[in-house]
Amino acid sequence: MATDRTRWQGFWRSPALRNTLVLLVAWEVIGRLKLVAGGALPPVSDILVRLWADRADYPGHVAATVWSSTLGFVIGNVLAVVAGVLFVLFPRLQRLARGVNIAIFALPAIAIAPILVLTLQGMAPRVVLAALGVYFVTMTATVVGLSQYDSRSADVVRAYGGSDWQVMKFVRLRGAVPDILGGLRIAAPNAVLGAILAEFGGGGRWGLGTYLLGSLGRGEPARLWGIGLMATLIAGLSYAVFALISARVLGSTRSVTLNTALPPGDGDANAPLALRVAWAAAAAALPFVLWWAFIRLTGVPEMIAKTPWGVVDYLFFADASGVARAKLGTALLQTLPITALGMVAGLGFAFLLAISSRMMPGFIRAFMPIALVTQTMPLVALTPLLVLMLGRGISVTLWITISVTFFPAFVLLVQGIQRVPQSVLDLPRAYGASAWKELRMVSIPAALPYLFAATRLTVPRALLGVMIAEWLATGTGLGNLLNQSRGYLDYGMIWTVASVSVLLSVAFYYLVLMVERRTLTRLGMQVVE
Amino acid sequence: MEGVPGISLSNVCKTYRTRGAEIVALEGMNLECPPGSFTALIGPSGCGKSTAMRIALGLEDHDAGEVRIAGQAPATATASGITGVAFQDAALLPWRSVARNVSLPLEVLGRDPQRYSHEIAKLIELVGLKGYENSLPGQLSGGMRQRVSIARSLITSPEVLFMDEPFGALDQIRRRQMNVELQRIWQETRSTALLVTHGIDEAVFLADYVVVMHANPGRVVEVIEVPFPRPRTEDLFSTPAFHELTDRIARVLHGN
Repeated sequence: MATDRTRWQGFWRSPALRNTLVLLVAWEVIGRLKLVAGGALPPVSDILVRLWADRADYPGHVAATVWSSTLGFVIGNVLAVVAGVLFVLFPRLQRLARGVNIAIFALPAIAIAPILVLTLQGMAPRVVLAALGVYFVTMTATVVGLSQYDSRSADVVRAYGGSDWQVMKFVRLRGAVPDILGGLRIAAPNAVLGAILAEFGGGGRWGLGTYLLGSLGRGEPARLWGIGLMATLIAGLSYAVFALISARVLGSTRSVTLNTALPPGDGDANAPLALRVAWAAAAAALPFVLWWAFIRLTGVPEMIAKTPWGVVDYLFFADASGVARAKLGTALLQTLPITALGMVAGLGFAFLLAISSRMMPGFIRAFMPIALVTQTMPLVALTPLLVLMLGRGISVTLWITISVTFFPAFVLLVQGIQRVPQSVLDLPRAYGASAWKELRMVSIPAALPYLFAATRLTVPRALLGVMIAEWLATGTGLGNLLNQSRGYLDYGMIWTVASVSVLLSVAFYYLVLMVERRTLTRLGMQVVE
Repeated sequence: MEGVPGISLSNVCKTYRTRGAEIVALEGMNLECPPGSFTALIGPSGCGKSTAMRIALGLEDHDAGEVRIAGQAPATATASGITGVAFQDAALLPWRSVARNVSLPLEVLGRDPQRYSHEIAKLIELVGLKGYENSLPGQLSGGMRQRVSIARSLITSPEVLFMDEPFGALDQIRRRQMNVELQRIWQETRSTALLVTHGIDEAVFLADYVVVMHANPGRVVEVIEVPFPRPRTEDLFSTPAFHELTDRIARVLHGN
């Protein structure tokens, strides 16, 4: 009995569990009383009842989504790890592939879903989109993990005549396992999101995305919530599996002592300017070469599949190019301001909350798990629910953008601030500095690099969020243009919207990176990868 | 191999070039370790003693001069498995057990660790870690980890043994214990040993020759022979003769 009681008390002391329970009860009450938009938020019990009533539908849809996302997850990650190893062994290759890597990172999945559906058959679009969703995360994690090896262990291998490959085999690969697992953990929900997005754009009979799309017009909030929660559950479980594995592996991998030596840096930093420009040009050209090769290899007719030149032609030289430009311009004017506004609000809110987190550690401890769970939610499954609650106006777009930028930025910022050693924090206090002064002298400067990193990393998410909202709800902007063009079979416009949104995303990424480098160099800080 | 020096550096030069600055790490360094002898390399931080060892191991290139390990070029010597090495930090692979860390050099040299299981067990016993074969480095104390690294350095039965401040991270008491043990282990193997250190006590206790280096530029200023008979015991640390010698080396170190 005594152990039961302590366990029960332990449960109440765990703020995350307690808050979840409080949240569920509040949800039930609000739903019962129809407080949100006249019943758009059904009580938890209704959702569960509906889930049970629909139980015959779920297995097929869930199986299809899990199968295609798993396949994409495996393929994307194998490619990512192999690419990461090659990039570390041959840094030139990494420089050459930089353009492709950034493009894959920055592409709003929803923009290329229709393209994949046009050019590939059957399940392939879902698998490819899931694979694209995991590639960048895992590749980056692999490169970071392999780069931060213990140079002392490498010296031991080299001192016995060991080659670069032997250092890789004995020291670096195994040492990178925790980083790679960390990458897989973040990548897993991405694969689910990618598969669902492709189901959205691609017809087919099975899959949670298809199910959701089919249930949209029926005005049954409880079912939409059920599907959204099911998708979240799958994504969350995939995250949890890898979180568990990495927690197990981590203990035996942490270096027992601290290595102060830094791994060797970029070898080509002193190369002649012409050579560096040549590499950069090749890196920028490679994505377009691959695009062109993809079209040629799939053998899809030119009418449907546009090459890079085809897009330029459609937008500037074809007969109807004026109309196309006007449509695109209008859409951009609707999409960009709302994206920018949402990002500024989301990032600003995250920054304020994160730098004040030192003052209320209890709140952060309770809030972090919730923030982490929202990271794994498949955005597309939640959009219809937000639409139900907030209507089809501009506010729904804004809220989606804020929420997709706020949570990742907040997690990144808090983790960054937590890396500040306690002694550094204690120093101002030891001299009697006020909390505000400590904030100004330590926490804010310490959080700055992470704010930049968060800005860079959330651009594609923000654009994705806005486009999903436009596609499903508001009927404006790039997302709507993409959806309409699918209906009109306007292939040129589909390819144009896809490439413009990727280019915008990449351009903004580089813009932030430039400001970031300048600012941080002036302040003598390092860029966070 | 009789008569061929275990380690020989003649007129070795090494300059580091960074943007706008040149640092002369070694300027015409000469060093000759007779086969089977124990040599300690001592000097202030930045005098190039570690660099000299890394060059001898082929871990770094040198600009001029000649390096021979048992009469061979460094790369040939290390790849043929006649050298052993222990670094300042144990540098164990955290995911490998004690036994598998000890066998790492064999695997790098492309030998089958299974065939050496007897040697591995014997070395682990020699460094006093019998029973810890399957422990992970994270479960050991700092001193125990350092012993694993000593066992690892001996697994190839090296003719030439390199040690770069192997006990630098240990406290004074543990360090003396390890010095006594290292002497015992080394006397059993009878290899040519080169120890890089900045502890005068340690150098005098362990070495036949103490080579004193100065910095800016890095060079050898004096070689001092240590006359104490072996095996040396911990009592030696408190004898007047020992203090006289350490005082003399300290004066050479400080340049007067």
